[in-house]
Amino acid sequence: MQNFDIVVIGSGPGGYVAAIRAAQLGFKTAVIEKEALGGVCLNVGCIPSKAMITAGHHWHRAHHEFKTMGFNIKSIELDFKKLLEWKNSVSSKMSSGVAQLLKGNQITVIKGEASFKNSKELTVNGEAIQAKNFIVATGSRPIEIPGFKFDEKDILSSTGALALDHVPKRVVAIGGGYIGLEISSYLKKFGSEVTVVEAQGTLLSGVVDPECAQVVSRKLEKNGVKLVLNAKAKGQKKTNDGYDVTVEINGKEEVLKADKIIVTVGRRPNGDQMNLKAAGILVDERGFVKVDAQRRTNVPHIFAIGDICGQPMLAHKASHEGVLVAEVIKGHNRVYDAKTVPAVVFTDPEIASAGLMESEARAKGFNDLLIAKFPFAANGRAVSMQETEGFVKMIADKKTHILLGVHIVGPEASNIISEAVLAIEMGARLEDVALTIHPHPTLGETMMEAAEATLGHAIHIIQRPLSTNGKNAHP
Amino acid sequence: MATEVRLPELGEGVTEGELVKWLVKPGDSVKTDQAIAEIMTDKATVEVPSPTSGVVKELKFKVGEVIKVENVLITLDSVGTSALAPAAKAPAPQAAAAKTPAAPQPAAAQPKTQATSTTTNGSGTLFVKLPELGEGVAEGELVKWLVKPGDAVKVDQSVAEIMTDKATVEVPSTMAGTVTELMFKVGEVVKVENVLLKLSGSGGTAQAAPIQTPVTSKPAPPVQNAPKMQQPAGATAAGPVMYPPVADFKVLATPSTRRLAREMNVDLNSMSGSGLAGRVTRDDVMKSKPQSAAPQPAAGTPAPSTGSQTSHAPGMQIPKPGYQSPAGAAEERVPLIGVRKKIAENLQKAKQIIPHFTLMDEADVTQLVGFRESMKQATEKSGVKVTYLPFVMKALIATIREFPMLNASIDDAAGEIVYKKYFNLGFAADTPNGLLVPVIKSADQKSILDLSKEIVDLSTRAREGKLKLDEMRNATITITNIGSVGGTYATPVINHPEVAILGMYKISDKLVLEEGGKVGVRKVMNFTITCDHRLIDGAVAARVLKAFINRIQNPGVLMLDMH
Repeated sequence: MQNFDIVVIGSGPGGYVAAIRAAQLGFKTAVIEKEALGGVCLNVGCIPSKAMITAGHHWHRAHHEFKTMGFNIKSIELDFKKLLEWKNSVSSKMSSGVAQLLKGNQITVIKGEASFKNSKELTVNGEAIQAKNFIVATGSRPIEIPGFKFDEKDILSSTGALALDHVPKRVVAIGGGYIGLEISSYLKKFGSEVTVVEAQGTLLSGVVDPECAQVVSRKLEKNGVKLVLNAKAKGQKKTNDGYDVTVEINGKEEVLKADKIIVTVGRRPNGDQMNLKAAGILVDERGFVKVDAQRRTNVPHIFAIGDICGQPMLAHKASHEGVLVAEVIKGHNRVYDAKTVPAVVFTDPEIASAGLMESEARAKGFNDLLIAKFPFAANGRAVSMQETEGFVKMIADKKTHILLGVHIVGPEASNIISEAVLAIEMGARLEDVALTIHPHPTLGETMMEAAEATLGHAIHIIQRPLSTNGKNAHP
Repeated sequence: MATEVRLPELGEGVTEGELVKWLVKPGDSVKTDQAIAEIMTDKATVEVPSPTSGVVKELKFKVGEVIKVENVLITLDSVGTSALAPAAKAPAPQAAAAKTPAAPQPAAAQPKTQATSTTTNGSGTLFVKLPELGEGVAEGELVKWLVKPGDAVKVDQSVAEIMTDKATVEVPSTMAGTVTELMFKVGEVVKVENVLLKLSGSGGTAQAAPIQTPVTSKPAPPVQNAPKMQQPAGATAAGPVMYPPVADFKVLATPSTRRLAREMNVDLNSMSGSGLAGRVTRDDVMKSKPQSAAPQPAAGTPAPSTGSQTSHAPGMQIPKPGYQSPAGAAEERVPLIGVRKKIAENLQKAKQIIPHFTLMDEADVTQLVGFRESMKQATEKSGVKVTYLPFVMKALIATIREFPMLNASIDDAAGEIVYKKYFNLGFAADTPNGLLVPVIKSADQKSILDLSKEIVDLSTRAREGKLKLDEMRNATITITNIGSVGGTYATPVINHPEVAILGMYKISDKLVLEEGGKVGVRKVMNFTITCDHRLIDGAVAARVLKAFINRIQNPGVLMLDMH
């Protein structure tokens, strides 16, 4: 029987961060992990997919853009096995980093699958472990759909897709969400014929700003990805020649040929695992553990963070909650009160957003909005990088000029967005962003220019004055 | 024929329990409804009744093992007599009811099945919370329950007596129902908005059969006294946590200001900010709570809830204002270090923690002066100078024996008063380095001569800076004697964690009207007693000073108490 102050179940970006903060606060802490330290994020999610996307990006540029810069490269060979090795080394580097951090903070790592016995005790590999507090951080897993059972050989989840040891000839990706598009994009760049099957009329629908999604849609099509929208995947059949994937479009069935089928229709929380019931923890019908603003479950000494406690299922939200919960257990007065969780999609070009979309702003009662875009084509750094697609779009309250939402599609959108997150958390007005000196020449200037554009007077694009007297109404 | 007796449902959400005790053994004959085992769940220990009669054949678990609902507990051999339908499945048990000592009232058994459930179907459980008790009152101590489980409660009926710092109040119920559970014990501290007790819904007479709805997602039903604080889903007796409502997206406040508001229990949603475009500033938050004079710093301050506060008393965060030099050249700056720094810290702490008050009086020490003079020859022979201080010490010890609250300390962390049964007297010594307080240990056991010797020794070494740390520690009360320098009265600062300090001042001649209208000359000496008002009332201090003066004025009386 082992005894701890805090036992964290799951060592993903929620769990390991919670454990480290808990240890910093002086708690005797343990982390239970059934697979690799770092969870989905470091091992089969965020990090390895970014490695593949970066590789795909370079490969693509080498073929299509280097020529303009005068690089005449006779031939480039792709050693996909080597690439895979490198990708894996990235993950293992990160994972062993987590191991070191845990060790350095004197956190006990227990390998195995946890199962609650009651609210005070769980078992791992038959061994009983007790704790004063538990933090459930066991995340989510890919959703399976009827007719497409994952075999991770030909019918793949994101995990299987990332582990492919060759470039498949024909890929059908079911689900035009961010995971499907990220994988589709790089597979296409390495030479696969890719068809994306999406049930909605647009890609990334409801998740990102529609105009941003549009830019990515166009680029995918330009790169040769076939988009099949408003389509439902009905089933698949193995043939002599790979698979026949049947989809239904507007009531009509159509067959798509594939060697590999990737199913990325979303992720479901792991609330059905670990025998949470035995601890008396309430789980809703979708599998999310119910928590309050302190991420406390209905059992007062048990907390849940990350994917398992609700949307958005994003690593950085989980980490924030991890710190929060450790401090709550310590007795600090903390609640989850972030205004916004930024979201990033590593498509080509990247999409990143913070704050409200236009529809969300209106739903919150902001009826008079200022909305404008500033294109990367008007940014010197973007032009010098040969990456001019996309824009920074800002949404602000017309009355107060308070920044409500920022939506970026374009190069390094993922890095630029942090400024927008800070601005929104700080309650910044458009003027605050516009009057802040941004370094030149950088992609970050687009934030300043977009704020100016929203105020009606960006320097590097031609704008008609917003109001007839040429002045902007200050609140 | 053998019958299996299984562990029945123990209550909503309870799936297992630990076997505490067997109440039967193999070979025992068991009657229907006879308790066969004690099972402890996270919520209560319950006795499990046998659903049928028979002779115990086998006990399936050992004490200490965890048994899941529906596991076979024991097997029974049916006795031949009543071969009537041996029910294989246990009916719903009486759960928590079984252990209550109350006589088995027919009606009582059933409602109590619900005692362990926090949410129920339909009308469900009602939560009676501790309402606001008055401005600035965040909690109170439960003095007495006015109801017990099973009682029917009407709206506005008093259910408990709660003592706050200001008064003892009766707390009325905001709704009607039958009491199912009292959430606190007498003596426990209840915070405003904590759930005091649970009621089963109105019309809560025995429901035909307790319906075992699986615990679904419903949180606590609404309560009348619209809670300003939010209560987390899981807040139960185990430790409810309160926090202000989470700021809405529309609220304009930086993350650090939001944190400050939370720590100060300020609801940002209802505030209009003074900043640009309605931004709530730090100042706005600070000003919204004028009564909390010393806001704690933003980062990492523990919530002032849980009783787990350690060492520091409330309000120990002392501001460190800078000093802007108006005339730098005409000033000199030296580091605040060493003894001076320690003095500064100690005195600031004392003033920060202790609410001081000082009482002053004059004593006629004519007799004492004569008394001391009469001893002079004898004492000079022994080579010791006897001052008035040892006499004052003796009088003080005799007095605080009578008033032990002066020889005490307050343990703020534990919330306890510590009465000391020993008498270590500190006395303030003026040294080149500053104020030091040497301590005479067990002064009550020492003679005037011994005390005199020790005073001389300690003060000499104090001036030379040769006191050991131990010789300045653990005083139980202190005497200050600045009268030897001058002044008529002072208001000394108590040497925390002591709770009182006695001041003695210079002896002077005073003209007094004696009996018969004659004018006489008396020797008088002023005394002050400064007390920690948290522990010592003004009237007590007055009695203390009176008793002390009575002794110091009459060496004969003083002698009576001497050891």
